[in-house]
Amino acid sequence: MNPIISVRGLEKRLRVGKHHRGKLGLLRNLVTREYNVIPAVDGISFDVGAGELVGYLGPNGAGKSTTLKILTGLLVPTAGEVRVNGQVPWKERVSYVATIGAVFGQRTTLWWDLPVIESLDLLQHIYRIPPDRFRRNLDRFRELLELDPFLHTPVRSLSLGQRMRADLCAALMHDPPLLFLDEPTIGLDVVAKERIRSFIRRVNEERGTTVILTTHDLSDVEKLCGRVIIIDHGKLLYDGGLPDLQRRFGGKRELVVDFAEEYQEIVVEGAEVLGREGLRATYGFERDRLSASDLIGRLSAKYRILDLSVREPDVEDTIRRIYKERLLDA
Amino acid sequence: MRLFWELCKISFQRQLAYRASNLAGLVTNLFFGVLRAAILLALYDNREVIAGLTQRDAVTYTGLTQAMIAYLHLFGVNNGLMNAVYSGEVATDLLKPMNLFPFWLAKEFGGSVVNLLLRGTTIMAAYALVFPITLPDNPLQGVAFAVSLLLAWQVSFAFRFLVNLSAFWVLNAQGIGRLAFTVSWFLCGFLFPLRFFTFVVPAIFLNYAPALYFLGQPDPLGLPAFAPFLAPFVGAGIFLAAMRFWQYGIRHYQSTGS
Repeated sequence: MNPIISVRGLEKRLRVGKHHRGKLGLLRNLVTREYNVIPAVDGISFDVGAGELVGYLGPNGAGKSTTLKILTGLLVPTAGEVRVNGQVPWKERVSYVATIGAVFGQRTTLWWDLPVIESLDLLQHIYRIPPDRFRRNLDRFRELLELDPFLHTPVRSLSLGQRMRADLCAALMHDPPLLFLDEPTIGLDVVAKERIRSFIRRVNEERGTTVILTTHDLSDVEKLCGRVIIIDHGKLLYDGGLPDLQRRFGGKRELVVDFAEEYQEIVVEGAEVLGREGLRATYGFERDRLSASDLIGRLSAKYRILDLSVREPDVEDTIRRIYKERLLDA
Repeated sequence: MRLFWELCKISFQRQLAYRASNLAGLVTNLFFGVLRAAILLALYDNREVIAGLTQRDAVTYTGLTQAMIAYLHLFGVNNGLMNAVYSGEVATDLLKPMNLFPFWLAKEFGGSVVNLLLRGTTIMAAYALVFPITLPDNPLQGVAFAVSLLLAWQVSFAFRFLVNLSAFWVLNAQGIGRLAFTVSWFLCGFLFPLRFFTFVVPAIFLNYAPALYFLGQPDPLGLPAFAPFLAPFVGAGIFLAAMRFWQYGIRHYQSTGS
């Protein structure tokens, strides 16, 4: 793999002011300045290949946004090496940021009181985009992101979903090979989320744009990312495929069975009865020990069955368990 | 350069978009201008000349200084950069491939031009309707006024930019801003055209010097004849300082993330 992003031993320590309590503490706060040093990012290393779509995950305060700020050149790390597109992000800011696109879900890069189209026109001058390429990209994004209904509306009057679509368009007008997305679906309804996801997928597939995505919405990750990087307390916990993560920490698969008649005993070897309600029962079973078809075969041999369905373990549950039970800490 | 003018154009449009705010500002400036003129006339108490200024000059002076309030942001109301630092908006600006100092310069300049055209000229026109006012005697005086007005904006921008930059280092720079603007307001001769208020050189190049050029008055400060020619150098000096501190500020931001 020829990495477009190469991160080695990345560290960022932040100084946070220390406050003392009580009357004496107040006085102490006034005359002295003491700081705690927090390792926001603590020795992270990874590579990202061109064209990958990577989910960068972690609980609040894990160091995701700090990493993203370093990768976009907004922060200088305390230690470590970073090369993105062959450049050190914080050293040549102006030339570097011309080669990336970034969308921070909580903030807009557009001009608040200007219509969307005028912000985009200004970006054409800022990024020095040739007019024909600008026109071509604008036409394409207008279609894909359905921008037309609000292209002439001031940004301040847009809904969150519309603003996010306009921001995505702005981030990609100059054809960057790399796109950083920090919670792009935060606060959006299901329809708006799906539209954004489908756009990200298309940009990644059609244009080969490398995408780094941080999000708390694991449906984004499930639907978009082939690879996930999980960090917590500034340390890298996992770097690999989502199916592998599910296999290792995903918990049990579930089989929901509707029996044709009432049975006193419904125990089946290799599966655990997780719940029972009337004629319906839910079995839990380990993927490695028993296949769904074997379990269905065993059940069909013993009971008359009306209907059944298999539920895969939820990614959200898996990630929640990883965070909560610190399954990756070792 | 093209980008600079595009940004100026955009900020010009932005300022125009706030119609109610522009109108409210204009009415307020006019109201207090008339009030100041009335107080000054009362102070003259039938005397014709004080400190080299006639009653007509003094009234014109209040009109000119009122007309320059919004153009030069004399009350320090524009804390755009300070707010951008605190809200994190400066981070999104840093993601754009351009030098941000000219970006802020253009952003402010466009808005100031609107203020000069809308508020400045309307206030002077209203003054001309209500009071007898002094006008430049010859075109040269008018040109000198225009040049000094531009230099005044340069000094004003650099001064405000420097004050706003303190946001990179302190948790709340509003207090520093208020103090700085109150002092400059006092020292630039906004309140009264009196000698002892105008001894701080950078401050006189805000609204005091342009007003004197407009009135065609000899320098009443007793400064040497070359003093007015210092304006560009003073402007350039503060400007360079602002650029330097901007770089320090960005470096500080990049190392602390706040």
